[in-house]
Amino acid sequence: MAFLVHDARDLARRPRTVAGIERARASKRLWRVDLLQAGLVTSIAIAIALFLADGGGTRFATPGAAITSLGIIAGLVATDLVLVMLLLAARVPLIERAVGHDASMGLHGKLGKPVMYLLVAHGVLLLAGYALSDGIDLVAEAVSIWSLPDLPLAILGFALFALVVVSSLVAVRRKLRYESWHLIHLLVYGAVLAALPHQFSVGGLFAEGTWQRWYWMAITIGTLAAVVAFRFVAPIALSLRHRLVVAGIDRVDHDVVSIRMRGVDLDKLGATGGQFFIWRFLAPGQWWQAHPYSLSAHPRGNELRITVRALGTGSADLMGIRPGTRVMLEGPYGIFSEASRSRRRIALVAAGIGVTPIRSLLESASFRPGEATVVLRTPAANDGWLLDEIKAIARSRGATVITVPGPRGTTGWLTDSAAREGLSLAALVPELDDTDVYVCGPRGWSDAVIVDALSSGLKPEQIHHERFDW
Amino acid sequence: MRTRALILASAASATAILGGWQLGAIGAVTAPVAQSTQTTGTTASTDASTSTSGTGTSSSGSTGATGSSGSTAGTGTSAAASSSSTDGTYTGSTVSTRFGDVQVQVTISGGAITDVTPLHLTDHDGRSVMISNQAAPILRDEVLQAQSASVYLVGGATYTSQAYLQSLQSALDQAGF
Repeated sequence: MAFLVHDARDLARRPRTVAGIERARASKRLWRVDLLQAGLVTSIAIAIALFLADGGGTRFATPGAAITSLGIIAGLVATDLVLVMLLLAARVPLIERAVGHDASMGLHGKLGKPVMYLLVAHGVLLLAGYALSDGIDLVAEAVSIWSLPDLPLAILGFALFALVVVSSLVAVRRKLRYESWHLIHLLVYGAVLAALPHQFSVGGLFAEGTWQRWYWMAITIGTLAAVVAFRFVAPIALSLRHRLVVAGIDRVDHDVVSIRMRGVDLDKLGATGGQFFIWRFLAPGQWWQAHPYSLSAHPRGNELRITVRALGTGSADLMGIRPGTRVMLEGPYGIFSEASRSRRRIALVAAGIGVTPIRSLLESASFRPGEATVVLRTPAANDGWLLDEIKAIARSRGATVITVPGPRGTTGWLTDSAAREGLSLAALVPELDDTDVYVCGPRGWSDAVIVDALSSGLKPEQIHHERFDW
Repeated sequence: MRTRALILASAASATAILGGWQLGAIGAVTAPVAQSTQTTGTTASTDASTSTSGTGTSSSGSTGATGSSGSTAGTGTSAAASSSSTDGTYTGSTVSTRFGDVQVQVTISGGAITDVTPLHLTDHDGRSVMISNQAAPILRDEVLQAQSASVYLVGGATYTSQAYLQSLQSALDQAGF
C-alpha cells in the first residue's frame, strides 16, 4: 500500500515547450565526465607509450626480453592507476563536481584489485624475464634483484598496498570497524612513497636526462600535491575560516538526532541541499574520526544541520555530543543536488535515514508547484524520520508526498503488498520519463529502485543515487 | 562509459601509443645497440654516443695497449693477424654516455676471454656509480660465460651495459678475437 500524504499533482501547469536550463547544465557536466574518463584511459596509453618511445617495441625479440618488457608495462600501468586512484579519492573539485563523490569513490574501489594483480604481474614477470636473460634460476635471480637499489623498499610498498586492498575486500571489510578500516587505508600513502624510489633508480626508462623521467615526476608530484592540497590543507583552512561549533541537538527518535551547527560566513561554502560534508567533532575520543553526513536542511543563515542515526560506533558516539563542541569540516561534496539535474520534474525516493539529503534537496531543488514527488519508505503511513518537516516543505512549495509503509518486500524496493498491487516508480511518479530521480537508502534497496527506474525507460543521466553505507 | 567518452579515449590513446612507437622507432635507429655491435677496432661506427677521442686507443690497438696494464705484457702483434686471437691484455675504446665515460680492458689467455676489468665506469653521480658497480660484475660473468660481447643488457643499467659491451667489443676486435 502507498499513502498519499500530500497531493500537489493538480498544481502542475502546462509543461514548458523549450528545453529547460536543466538539460543545458546536464550536457555541460556530461562533457566534463566524458573528458575525465577519456583522460583516465589516455593516461594508461601514455604510460605504455613512454616505454615504446624508449625503444620498448624492439625489446620483444627473445623470450627473456619479451617477458621483461611485459613486466615493465605492467608496472607502468599499475603505477598510473595507483595515481588515478589517489586522484579519485583526493576530493579534487573538478572531479567532485563533474562525476560526484559517490561515482568517483566507486571507481576508486573497483580499481584496487586490478592494480594489485598488475603489481603481482610486474614482480613475477620481471623476475622471470631477468632469470631467462641471465640464464640463472628464479631463486638466484631473486637474490640478485634483492640487492638492486631501493628494491626492498618497493617490496615493502607492495606489501602495504596488498594489506590495504585485502582490508577493503567486501568480506573482510564487513568484519572491520569503519575506524580500523580507515586507519589501514592510510597505509596506502606509505605504500606509494615506498614504491617511488625504485621507479627512478632501477627503472632504466626513467634514467636521469630522459623526458620520460620528467613526465613521471610531474604526474607523481602533481597527484601527491592534489592529495595534500585537497585532503589536508583545504579542510584545515576551511575549518579555521568558518569556526563551526555545535549549537544544539534535537532528538528525532531514540537512535536519531539532528545536530545544528553555527559558524562564520557559511554562505561562502556554496553548499546546497543534498550535498554532504565530512565532519570531525573535536571532542575527546572522537576527534580522530571523520564521518560523511548529508545536510538535512538547506543551509540557512549561519547554520548547518545534519541528521544522524546510530548505525556504527562512531555515529553512536555522536548521540552524546555536547553543544559548544568545535567541528572541523571538509566539503561540500556530492552532486546529489541541483548540480546533476537533467530534467524539468524531480522525484525524491528515500528509505530509512536516507531521508536526510532528500529532505534538504526538497528545500533546495528548483521546481514549479506540482513538478516534484517525494516517495518515502517508512515504518507507518504517517510516521517517519523528518516526515513532518517534509510535509511542511511540500505544502509550501507544492510537492506531492507519498509514503509506502511496512517492511521491505522479498523482491524490489517496495513492500510486498505494494508490489502485489502493481505499484512501481512509474505508477507513483507522474510523467516519470521527464523526471530526475534521486535515490538514497541502503545499497540493495537503492539498486532495486535503480532497476525499476531503468526498466521504466529512464536514461542513466536521469538517475542519481547516494549511498550512506561505506 | 558513454559512446562519446569511448571515442575520445580511443582517439587519444591511439595517438599516444602511435606517437610513442614512432619515437621508439626513431630512437632504435640512432641509439647504440651494444649487444650486436660488430664495430671494428677503430669504432668507425656512426654511433652518436661513441666519443671520437675513444678511437685513439683503438687505432693503436695493434700494439696491444699493454702499457696501461700491470699484468703480463700483451704480445699482441697486429690486428692484421686476424686468423686467430692472441693472448694478452687489450684496452677497449672509451665510450661516452650521458652518465659518464666507460672503458674496459679484456685479458685473453689460451684463446679465451679470462677476465674483463673496468678501467672507467659511468660516474656522473652517486646513483650512476652505484648502478655501474652493480652492473659490472654481472656483465663480466655474462661475458666470461658467453665468450663474446653479445650478452643481454643488465636491467636498470642499460646505458652502462651498452657502453661496457661496446668498449669490450673494440678490445676484442683488437685482439682479433
